[in-house]
Amino acid sequence: MISVPLFFYFGIFLAIVGSLATAWGPGVNDPIVRTFNTEVASIGVCLVLLCYNHVLALLTLLATTVVISLILFRAIIRLEEMGADV
Amino acid sequence: MVFIPPYVPDAFLSMYLPAIYAGLIVGFIGTMAIALKREEIHILILTDIVGLAMIFVVSAVGTDLAEALILPGLVVELAETLAISEILLTREMRKIEQNPRRNLQKTSSMFPQPFALNMEILNTAPNFIALVLIGYGIFLTGFTGGAVAGGGIVFYALSKKARGLPVLMLDGIAGVSGIAWCLWILGFLLFFVAPQYWLLSLFLAACGLLLKVASKVGLIGLLMREDFDKE
Repeated sequence: MISVPLFFYFGIFLAIVGSLATAWGPGVNDPIVRTFNTEVASIGVCLVLLCYNHVLALLTLLATTVVISLILFRAIIRLEEMGADV
Repeated sequence: MVFIPPYVPDAFLSMYLPAIYAGLIVGFIGTMAIALKREEIHILILTDIVGLAMIFVVSAVGTDLAEALILPGLVVELAETLAISEILLTREMRKIEQNPRRNLQKTSSMFPQPFALNMEILNTAPNFIALVLIGYGIFLTGFTGGAVAGGGIVFYALSKKARGLPVLMLDGIAGVSGIAWCLWILGFLLFFVAPQYWLLSLFLAACGLLLKVASKVGLIGLLMREDFDKE
């Protein structure tokens, strides 16, 4: 038996903790760490969408999260190569 | 007093207020962090958090309308992130061009350096995984299918070592994008002019969006191949 409220509140908890970690967490002056912390919050949002039965939204969120993190990694790597202060 | 439409499932009624408050809290955290930070790349990453807060607030509605609003929101957020990151890179290049002495002191270059991605999965499985993702994306159609199929194209483009893209192919992708717009507009028009053909217009719009989003996301992969897979 799957308890939906448990998943729902755990998703909310993960999203809030993940966004706090992205904003003021340890080591966030490194943009790579900040990008990884964003993933925690997005997993929380995935759980909430799962509780709401939004399958298509969940799939789109997964696909776009992967592509967005690839774009951010590319931007970070290029900026660091160019010697910008990130 | 909250107005509740009759087709909202009863199970979602008690989840409305927690989801709204969670969205507000996450959005507040994200915007506060943006206000405190100076560097643009950090602000770009934190914009992602604000987008997640948007998804929370929209998904609290709990009906199909919420799903229909989340899908374009996610895809537009993806396009925004890509555009803003390109703008940041271009601005940094201009700064270095204007002040080359600062550039000489450090070990920095305007052009990307070779960066080898030596993962086993990129050598052995790209064809199969890309085929599965693209096939599933075509089966899904619409925004979701576009994102999934585009992910497959990104994976395939990343795993192939070839460098450079002929101009003809770029023009071809732009042409596919234009045809997709035409399909979408035709479907939308047909939906109002001849409502009895709703299934046809639905499929026109869905396949148009699939082509559009998949080709855009695929272009991201081709862009990244220019940077990463250099010999």
